[in-house]
Amino acid sequence: MKDLILQALISGILIGGVYSLIGIGLTIIFGVMRVINFAHGEILMVGMYLTYTLFTHWGIDPYVSILITIPILFIFGGLLQILFINRVLNAHSQNQILLTIGLGLVITNTMMMIFTSDYKILTTTYSSSSMKLMNLSISTPMSISFLITGVIILGLYFFLKKTDTGQAIYATAQDREAAKLMGVNVKMISIITFGLGSALAGTAGALVSPTYYIFPQVGGAFTLKAFVITVLGGMGSVLGAGLGGLIVGIAESVGAVAFSAGWKDVVVYVNFLAILLFKPSGLLGKSKE
Amino acid sequence: MTFKHFIGSAAIAVTTALSLSAQAANVKLGVINSITGPEAPIGESISNGIKLAQEDLAAKGTKIDIVWEDDTGKPQIAMSAMEKLATRDNVAGVVGPYTSASASAVARLAEKYKVPLLVPAAAKEEITRQNFKWVYRMNAPADVYASVLIDAVLDMSKSSGAPKTAAFIYENSDFGTSTSKTAKAYVIKKGMKVVADESYSKGSPDYRSTLSKIKAQNPDVVFMVSYVADAILLMRQSREIGLQPKVFLGAGAGFTTDQFAREKDISSYVLSSTQWTDDVKWPGAKEFAQRYKAKFKMEATYHAACAYASMMVMGQTAVKEASDREKIRAELKAGKWDGIMGEVKFQDYEGYQNQNRHPMLVQQIVNGKYLTVYPINLAEAKPVYPFPKWK
Repeated sequence: MKDLILQALISGILIGGVYSLIGIGLTIIFGVMRVINFAHGEILMVGMYLTYTLFTHWGIDPYVSILITIPILFIFGGLLQILFINRVLNAHSQNQILLTIGLGLVITNTMMMIFTSDYKILTTTYSSSSMKLMNLSISTPMSISFLITGVIILGLYFFLKKTDTGQAIYATAQDREAAKLMGVNVKMISIITFGLGSALAGTAGALVSPTYYIFPQVGGAFTLKAFVITVLGGMGSVLGAGLGGLIVGIAESVGAVAFSAGWKDVVVYVNFLAILLFKPSGLLGKSKE
Repeated sequence: MTFKHFIGSAAIAVTTALSLSAQAANVKLGVINSITGPEAPIGESISNGIKLAQEDLAAKGTKIDIVWEDDTGKPQIAMSAMEKLATRDNVAGVVGPYTSASASAVARLAEKYKVPLLVPAAAKEEITRQNFKWVYRMNAPADVYASVLIDAVLDMSKSSGAPKTAAFIYENSDFGTSTSKTAKAYVIKKGMKVVADESYSKGSPDYRSTLSKIKAQNPDVVFMVSYVADAILLMRQSREIGLQPKVFLGAGAGFTTDQFAREKDISSYVLSSTQWTDDVKWPGAKEFAQRYKAKFKMEATYHAACAYASMMVMGQTAVKEASDREKIRAELKAGKWDGIMGEVKFQDYEGYQNQNRHPMLVQQIVNGKYLTVYPINLAEAKPVYPFPKWK
């Protein structure tokens, strides 16, 4: 039983890393724009199909393809911001929600037209390989994903803390009007932020591709997950989203061992509710007032 | 094409049409099938099988007219199709529909209108368990999918000692739970112990925790019910964590597809059950597969074979009995046919009526190919048992 829990813990942490990436993307968009992006999972799905296409047509390894996925999705996200999100920034939040849900539906159905609704699966040489550590087996592709996630989160941290653009993003998140008065190009920062959030979602999509399957409706499940992660960690908190991702990953996989695979979502949501009960603004969220 | 040529070919077309309609004595049969809708890919196989049967019957001098009806996979449309066939088209008999839901609905109408109905490939047990006189079924019902796999394993392990423990992992849908329920009951009946019983919801990427839990029980048999994408993930992650039973059994859709078989690293030596294979030793099966592939440019599936055999039986019977519905029903009950599905005989047994006691086959994937391995008298290949150590 001890081995079993340990095994579940390792699987949970590895998958949780990717969840963190999804959550961080959503949370920085919310932090800067105060818009909840309900098309987040769909953008992730675009990243999955991009990885799939690059792999099957040009034989580019899913992990190497991140170098292509990141800029493409950055531009994609930036365009979404310019064309759609910018226009509703001052609108009611329900309008913003409807807009992003609508965008998600359009993306899903476009992908369905291009790729059909069949399940696609990537087969790499390392898709089912693992490393042994005492009695535990550690999935090779998931470990690579986890390492890449770590590097990206570290890079993001330095970008936000040490660069002018990063500081401008922080400033905009803190107070949009004040940032504007201080000479920050808030429009540009919004575009960069949405691009960044989309690139993170797309990267997460690329990272799960070798161990998951791909179909146009896959986004919905990830949108929900991303939402849970960001609320759990505290809306707008990057560190909180990172933590939230790990918690959800571990809750899923330990829940599957302790109860049953069919119950793992229940375990996740009971945890979620319990945390909100004691900390309504999320783990690292600042309560208003 | 010149104008003269055009007139010429038009004239030929007209005369053929006339000569066709002149043969008024042709037997008229109905087909209800899912030609469009979500089941269309399987519906296409069934239509192809029926077309090939129609051709083969014509070659033997038995001309059959078929009235095609599309139920789009919906029971209510299948029912109105059946009413139309029974009353307006006045057909001698009906082959179809494909889905269990449509077949159940249509069976009741067949009984009401007294039209012989031959269901080619619907799995739900109840269809031939309602004391209906006019409803016949070609394929084996759902419970056999599981039991034939267990029987095959017991047979393979005769020399090395029978497996004692079994673990179940299945999708928590109607399909997954009902299939594994019958399988669990059968396993217990055969003296095995169920050591793990795990259901999962579709679309969770990570089955590693569940599989580690099963691994900790060290079961002899691992029985899985999944669709294709999950089937691949389950086997991949089994390999990853080193789940090493004596045999992997795959019941249901996911384990009998080419997409699954092509994943050679993880699909090899998995056993699955099916109604028909193209290398089975039933008369004409191999030739059927070749002709089917040549004509339709796709592999013959068991659906195609079931539909072909059903139309052959229904066509021959209807011609023999000169379209008399009552006599056709009696002949279906009494007759015996031999063909690509082996011996076909509609019997009453274990609560079933007019059910062809079709022996299902067990196939094993070897190097990306499905080989029939059980029952031994029908198989060309020898099964690999126990499951080799993961590389």
